[in-house]
Amino acid sequence: MRRHTRPLERAVVFAVVWWVVAEADPEGWVFGIPFVGLATVASLKLTPTRSWRIRPAGALRYAWYFVHQSVMGGIDVALRAIKPSMPIDPMIFRYRMRLVPEHARVLFADTVSLLPGTLSTGFEGDSMTLHVLDRELPVEQSLRDVERRVADLFGLTLSAEGGNLLACENITGGECR
Amino acid sequence: MTEWISLALIAVGAFFFLAGSTGVLRFPDVYTRLHALTKADNLGLGFVVLGLALRADSVVVVLKMLLIWALVIVAGATASHLVAEAARTSNVAPWRKRS
Repeated sequence: MRRHTRPLERAVVFAVVWWVVAEADPEGWVFGIPFVGLATVASLKLTPTRSWRIRPAGALRYAWYFVHQSVMGGIDVALRAIKPSMPIDPMIFRYRMRLVPEHARVLFADTVSLLPGTLSTGFEGDSMTLHVLDRELPVEQSLRDVERRVADLFGLTLSAEGGNLLACENITGGECR
Repeated sequence: MTEWISLALIAVGAFFFLAGSTGVLRFPDVYTRLHALTKADNLGLGFVVLGLALRADSVVVVLKMLLIWALVIVAGATASHLVAEAARTSNVAPWRKRS
């Protein structure tokens, strides 16, 4: 796999962020230029290389899906919170991930936490544990969907193994049993 | 007209913040409260940003608010993952509905 350092690319991203933060004020560059430099150096120190790329078309599809799902997620939890009957029936689950690279798993977990009724609670080997607000929700289908879209975003193929959900009756020592 | 749409969007945003806070108070344990915090507040802030964007003087101010929104989403999702993981690894049992 090709690895990228791309210091110039990073500097351009930081410069755009600075331009936005300074609200396009030209005087801001007195501080902006040194800090863009420092941010680039820090970024190269912290993550010297990266082996992943984002596919623009996949990113657009992911962004649309993400916005749609976070609206649904927000409405779902808001209604459960304000309804007098407070309809929740929580359960912890374990999901065997089909995404392998770490960066994809992190994005997967963060996305899952904003979906309706699901909250990632950590990784265990190739599995992710999650807390579900209502065990009647179609969790397995949603998780498989998110994985497919994260794979589409990074141009990855999903592993044939996994993609299945297990209910955890008990969590002892932080592990699902 | 724009003024009213902007006001309506901000009001919808405020509703989600209120619902999220209600969830934090009413929900029974740390896990369920994190659901309310991350999801409702993320959406509430989204609506407030949209409402304020209609009143903004320049495009760059809109971009700045979108940047803040994006950072809040990433920070919120990551922080809730870490809090939930800490709770789970220290054996905080999730609340279960009595059946």
